[in-house]
Amino acid sequence: MRRTVIPILATLVAVVAIAAGAFAVNGGSSSITKARLERSLPTTFSNLYVQRARIQGRTDVTAASLHATAMCDKGGAALPDVGPGGDWNCLMSWTDPQVPMPQEGYGKFELNVHSNGCYTAGAPSKLVGFMTMTDATGRTVTNPVSEFDGCFDPQGDNTPTGNSFPSLLSVLSTTVQPTVDHRAPIQISCGTGDGGCAGTVSATSGGVSLGSMGYAVKEEQTATLTLPDPMPAGASDVTFTFAPTKGVASTKPTTISSQG
Amino acid sequence: MTTIIDTRVQTTARARHVGTAAVVRWEVRKLAHQWRAKAVLLGALLGPIPVVFIIHGQSRPPKDTLFGRFATENGFALALLILGFAAQWVLPLLTAIVAGDIFASEDQHGTWKTVLTRSTSRGRIFWAKTLASVLFAIVTLAVLAASTITSSVLIAGNAPLTGLSGQQVAPGDALALVSASWASMLPGMLAFTCLAILLSVWSRNPAAGIAAPVVIGMVMQLVGALGGVEPIRPFLLSTGFEAWHGLLTDPRYTRPLLEGAVTSAGWCLVTLALAYLTLRRRDITGG
Repeated sequence: MRRTVIPILATLVAVVAIAAGAFAVNGGSSSITKARLERSLPTTFSNLYVQRARIQGRTDVTAASLHATAMCDKGGAALPDVGPGGDWNCLMSWTDPQVPMPQEGYGKFELNVHSNGCYTAGAPSKLVGFMTMTDATGRTVTNPVSEFDGCFDPQGDNTPTGNSFPSLLSVLSTTVQPTVDHRAPIQISCGTGDGGCAGTVSATSGGVSLGSMGYAVKEEQTATLTLPDPMPAGASDVTFTFAPTKGVASTKPTTISSQG
Repeated sequence: MTTIIDTRVQTTARARHVGTAAVVRWEVRKLAHQWRAKAVLLGALLGPIPVVFIIHGQSRPPKDTLFGRFATENGFALALLILGFAAQWVLPLLTAIVAGDIFASEDQHGTWKTVLTRSTSRGRIFWAKTLASVLFAIVTLAVLAASTITSSVLIAGNAPLTGLSGQQVAPGDALALVSASWASMLPGMLAFTCLAILLSVWSRNPAAGIAAPVVIGMVMQLVGALGGVEPIRPFLLSTGFEAWHGLLTDPRYTRPLLEGAVTSAGWCLVTLALAYLTLRRRDITGG
């Protein structure tokens, strides 16, 4: 028995030693990186977007004419952008003369990236449509770009792409619930992007200014801002205006009805 | 050591030189008469056909696996979907059914003493059995691949394939790439053959020899899918089973294929060496 156990133990020790050696050399770093994803996703997306355009009978776009660029982030600002997971988000911008980009200049893709370098991406439906689409002859077909798979070389180019997009500030509150001292709180979120969101918010209600205040929210975080001055009695809504210094926010004032 | 089993070998002057070949022929002949081996080959030939029909008949494509989203309408994607599934446990199982049994069955039937009375050495029998298992693995993979690709393309059609970079692949190129992807399973499958041989020799139990490689394969897959195990991923046999992804992207990447082949060769070398030493040193007289 000892004769069989010793070689098997020796092999196990050798395998563990090799693994430990490999760990020491590359520090246990994953081959799933931001840079590789930022190179792969736009390529795959462009090819499929062109396929979608052909299904629609369009010939005015090519993979090269889209100039797609992406910025990817895993799990918000706090986590390092490396490793497999379902919490990868990529912001991508491209040029389609018939579909202008929104104000922030990009669409947000949600990715599930596997440890073997393959991923499944879900595209923003406001820019690329839903799971099914109508082709040039009027038939209902699968939209190739709504959700798609791709793979990248786990040993491919890993130099940073330098692509950067600002975070998008959005208002989460659907109604304003005044505090006991009649001040107006508003809940905001700061989306995936570079550097988070910061700036000044001001508000008016019933023709009266509620004052203004500064805000600073990290990316993929939410915050509640309570304006300094009280709301006038009987006010039915509050209008907020954002002046961002970091990130982007809607240039149009946001009006929210009040519960009070 | 004078019992004459294969008289052709005994009567030729070149007996020493054709020794291994004769033993291989003998082992292959034994395999060809085993219902188990025949059942595996028949399963590899006919099994893919109902699978292809069932997947093709689905109203919602199985999107959670690579190429699943095109599998109901594209034969090449369907063949690749089945490839991804086969690599999970089918390929290790098919080869282990023969390789995990080929040594242990001699223990089970108590025939080692009889076998070793043939005028050949223990080493020669070891290599002959190994070679027979390897040949069987190659034939099984070829039959399974041919059957899957043919039935997929015939049933689901040969429309252009959408690759893993979103690129369109013309049917002719797609057929070549799908065949190459199936062929890329060979190193990993042979490594599982070697692993099954070791377990067959070591456990002396056909059930362990057949089941253990499948379980080990599944554990490797589970470990490989975890994050934070990057250093050991290259040493897992399951990693090589995913190397074909690089063939379906644009531009292609083939380094994982090479690494998978090296890893498989390493596993084969170690497991066969251990199996050989175990068999050489075993006291069979008591058996």
